[in-house]
This record gives sequence, C-alpha cells and structure tokens, in this order.
Amino acid sequence: MSLEAAFTAHAGRFSLDVAVEASDEIVVLFGASGAGKSLTLRAIAGLTRPTSGRIVLDGEVLFDAAEGIDLPPEARRTGYVVQEMALFPHLSVWENVAFALPGTRADRRSRAEASLATLGLEGVGDRDPGTLSGGQRQRVALARVLVRDVRLLLLDEPFSALDDAIRRSLRLELRRLQLELGRGALFVTHDLREAYLLADRFVVLNAGRVLQAGTPGDVFSRPVSRRVAELLGVRNLYRGRVVATAPDSLEVEVGPLRWRCASWVEGLRVGDAVDVAVRSERVVLRRGDRPAVNALDAVVESEEAYGASHLLQMRPLAGGPLIEVDMPARPYEVLGVATQKQWLLELPAADLHVMRASG
Amino acid sequence: MILRRPSGITLAVAVLAITFALFFLLPFAGLVWRAVDDPRAREALGDPAVGMALRLSLVTTAVSVTLSLLFGTPVAYLLARRQIPGGAVLDALLDLPIVLPPTVAGVALLTAFGRRGLLGEPIEAVTGLSLPFTAVAVIVAQTFVAAPLYVRAARTGFEAVDPELEAIARTLGASRVHVFRRITVPLARGPLLAGAVLCWARALGELGATLIFAGSLTGRTQTLPLAVVAAFEGGPLGLPGAIALSLVLLGVALILLIALRLVAKRGLA
Repeated sequence: MSLEAAFTAHAGRFSLDVAVEASDEIVVLFGASGAGKSLTLRAIAGLTRPTSGRIVLDGEVLFDAAEGIDLPPEARRTGYVVQEMALFPHLSVWENVAFALPGTRADRRSRAEASLATLGLEGVGDRDPGTLSGGQRQRVALARVLVRDVRLLLLDEPFSALDDAIRRSLRLELRRLQLELGRGALFVTHDLREAYLLADRFVVLNAGRVLQAGTPGDVFSRPVSRRVAELLGVRNLYRGRVVATAPDSLEVEVGPLRWRCASWVEGLRVGDAVDVAVRSERVVLRRGDRPAVNALDAVVESEEAYGASHLLQMRPLAGGPLIEVDMPARPYEVLGVATQKQWLLELPAADLHVMRASG
Repeated sequence: MILRRPSGITLAVAVLAITFALFFLLPFAGLVWRAVDDPRAREALGDPAVGMALRLSLVTTAVSVTLSLLFGTPVAYLLARRQIPGGAVLDALLDLPIVLPPTVAGVALLTAFGRRGLLGEPIEAVTGLSLPFTAVAVIVAQTFVAAPLYVRAARTGFEAVDPELEAIARTLGASRVHVFRRITVPLARGPLLAGAVLCWARALGELGATLIFAGSLTGRTQTLPLAVVAAFEGGPLGLPGAIALSLVLLGVALILLIALRLVAKRGLA
C-alpha cells in the first residue's frame, strides 16, 4: 500500500492544506480538535471534495482537481471507522459486517462471522448492535471494514468514546491486526499517549497545516516549533537567545540564566532569538554534588498532587522563569520534597531542545 | 397506607375525556345504527352505483398514492438534505395545497389543465384529449392536494436519518442508490408509512377539488365522497344511499388503516 495525498479543502471558514504519505504502517495524525484531522480523513475517504490537489492510493488516482478525477467513496476501497454512532441500528451485527458484500446470504454470513471472529467476537452475529457494549461495537465497526479488501484504514478517533481499559486493549489489538494484515492505516487522535503508542509515523496537524512529520521518537524529542512542543505537552517553554555555539551544544541565555543545550533545530546562529523546551519529567531534583552544567538553586513555589505523581512549580533563586517539575510519587517521598522546599535543579543538556523563536 | 382520593382535577379531566370520546364515537354509532335500522340503506348498499363509486375511489386513490410516492420520495430526500437549488421556494409551494381550501385547488387546476387552461388548451389542440371530467382528472386533483402531505412527512423522516450513517455506508462500497434503499428508507420507514397513510386518507376524502376539476359523473369521476354529496342533494340514492356510501367509506378507511398498522408493526420486528 502506498498513499500520496496533497490537497486543500474547505469547510465553512476553515481551510485545510495538507500533504500526507503512508505505506504499510500506522500513520498517526495528531492535533488538537479543530486541527483538520477528521477533514483530512474524510477527503481521502471521498466524503469531502478537496478544492485542489491530488490523492493517489496504490498508483490509482482517487482525486485530482486538475484532471477532474473524483472517485466516489464506494470505489475507493478505504476502511473508514469513526468514534461512535457508526453501526446501522436496523441491521443485526452480522448484517452490519456483511453490508455491501456481494454473494449469497450464506456466503456473506460466513465471511462476516469469520471477520467478527478475528476481532474476538463470536456468537454475537444475530444480536442487535444496540445491545452490545461500546468496545464490542467498535470491534464490529473494525470487523466491518476488515471484511472487505480495503487498501487503507482511515480511523477517526475510533477509541475515544471508550473506557480506558477497553481503549488500551483495543489499541494493542489494532497494532496486532495491523502487523498481521499488513494494511496501512491513518489514525486520527488528540490523545498523545495513544498517538505515541500506535505511530510508526507521526504527523502533527495544527489549524489545517502539517507542522511536523517524522518518527514519533524524533517528533517527540525534537519538535520544530514552540506550537509543536506545546501540542506534545511540553510545559516548560522559554524565550531566549543563542550566546555561543559549539559542535555538540548551544549556549542559550534565558533571562539571567545560561544553559547548555544539546538538542536544536538546524541553522541557529549566535544572537538568534530562540525558544527552549524541556519536558517537566526531565527536570531533576538533586541532593549532594553540584553538577557541572545547567544547575540552579530553586524553591518550590506551589505544588499539585496527582497521586501517582506531583507537579512542582519551582522558582530559581537567581531569578528567571518558573520551572515545572513532574515527579513520580516514589522519589518525591524518598527525597522528602513535602518538607524540604529548596532544591538543586538540574536541566540535563540532552533534554534541552532549542527551536527558532516563533509567534 | 394512605389512599389518595381522586382530586377535583382528576374528575374534571375524566369528564372531559369521556365527553370528548363520546363526541367522536356517537356519529359513527349513528351511522351504523341507521344502516342497520333502515332497510332502504341496506338495500342501497347493493346498488351498482355504490359499487362503481367504491371501485373508482380505490383505483384513483391507489394511483394517486403511487404517484405521490414515486415523485415525492426523491423530492423529499433532496429537500431533507438541502441539495436542491431553490429548495426553499419548492418547500413553501408544497405547503400551499395543504393550506389552500380544496375548492381553490380545483379552480387552480382548471386554469392550468382545463380546456381553456395554460397547458390544457395546447394539449387539446395537439392531441384532441381533454383532462377535465375524466378519471385522470380525479387522480390529478387527489395527487395535487394529497402528495404534499406525504412529502412533508417523508422529508421530516429523512432529516432524522444521520447523514454520517449514509456516508459510512458509501465508504463500505455501496452506491448511492443501494445506500438509499438499504439504509435511508428503512431508517425512515415509520414517517414514510405515516406520510403514505396521511396522503392516502386525504386522497380518499378528496371532494372540493375533484368536484370542480373533474365533476361528479356517475361511474366516471364520482368517487365515494362525491357520491355521498350527490345522494344527499337529491340524487336517485337519497339519504339512505348517502348513509350506505358513508358506511362503505368508513369500512374502507378502517380496513386500510388496520392493514397498514399491521405492516408497520411486522416491519419493526
């Protein structure tokens, strides 16, 4: 399978301009709601007509504005699964799965039951979809697209309406199915953990544009801009200036503080305005020896307890911005953070990522 | 245990409800009573004129309802999905025959399809055929006043079908027509049937427009309601005939309503 899609589309005042490529892998379209993720899937499925551009699947042109090609959804052989309300309420479970399958009734039924079995659903074929649990319904929806020879799965937040536990098992199952069947999938989600878990390729969408695409690890650790970092859940973002460069690091000044940063985007020079990102869980509270670089004294200004972890807002004694620290409950207790309020903070150079300043 | 005594309000509601029920029941009871009591009414039931009116009513309403479904269903769907340019105008036009007194509809039909009508005159000039005072005119009058009721109900029914379900059905490999037949229509079946029943009832009771546009010719354009009027106004059947005809009309309406209810119920299971 190979997908090459580059198109613009409009819905009301919203405009979308994206380019997405995929092969036999899971490509996650990640972004906040209203980023254009669903519209992208609908355009590829043939449910929304793009205003310009081209969509090619396995060498077949599904859409080409210039050539006037626009295959109807039924001819595209994509498997479109949405969050909820997707099963036909007047048809039984097996009839849902067998919908639009050709052949005799017995034939269609056996294919439907086989597909249901792949998803661990046996003996529910005759039931009314309304009597199934949310998780079972989504399995039926998956069985319904997998029963056909689809070339590409288009999954629009398929698990978002489900409970955590069911969501987790379905994610793992989707991974297994994808490996077994070797079919490519475009998976839309606004859940960062889900996105990271499932993605072979990670595409960050914002306000109708692709901000960044790459492996999840790469995007996660090396966002290209402040907005991407924000979307990826980075809470410590500081405006600064490059003051020195070395082959393996940059020196950046943030207010009165000076940090050595070992991760940065291409092309930065001394004097450039930059944004520095460091994830809250990467900041280290230390006891004992002062580390050689990026050490600073700070006091806990406020904290929030989340049971499994604690979120600390730390104020550097030398001045400068607040630094958020996300600390698991165990080290929090062992170190005795509840009683001791002044700490030596370390910002490991490898975890300080520098981007060109924006916005 | 404290027994609650019926309050004044409960009593008042009960009296109102019983009075209301009697108000609707008594005329039917009267009709049946007169038909049983009056030998001339029973005799009139066997009159060939009654049979002719019954047959004409059944045939014309069957055709009118079929035409309404045939033309009305796609229009209702397009209106529901707002896919027709000028849909709002068409929508308002469809309300007119519902609001309009049927006699006005009859006059309007004459000005369009009558012998001197906008379309009637050229048609007669070319083919020599004229529409008024034929069974076809009866069907035209019935369809004109009754079809909008079906379109209205069907449109509401279609609007209640989630377009997302249709979209998903398309992505599963079904054509537009297949999706319409297998998803849209079954999901809107209740309102569609209700609309068809309304449409049929309206066509069966049609009087004013038919009288003006098609006339009241025994055996040709005289449907059951027209025959009732003719008998009542001193026709050969007389008042006993009017009672007999009314009874037939009531019976036909009841049988078809019950039949449709059964069909709808079985369809739901």
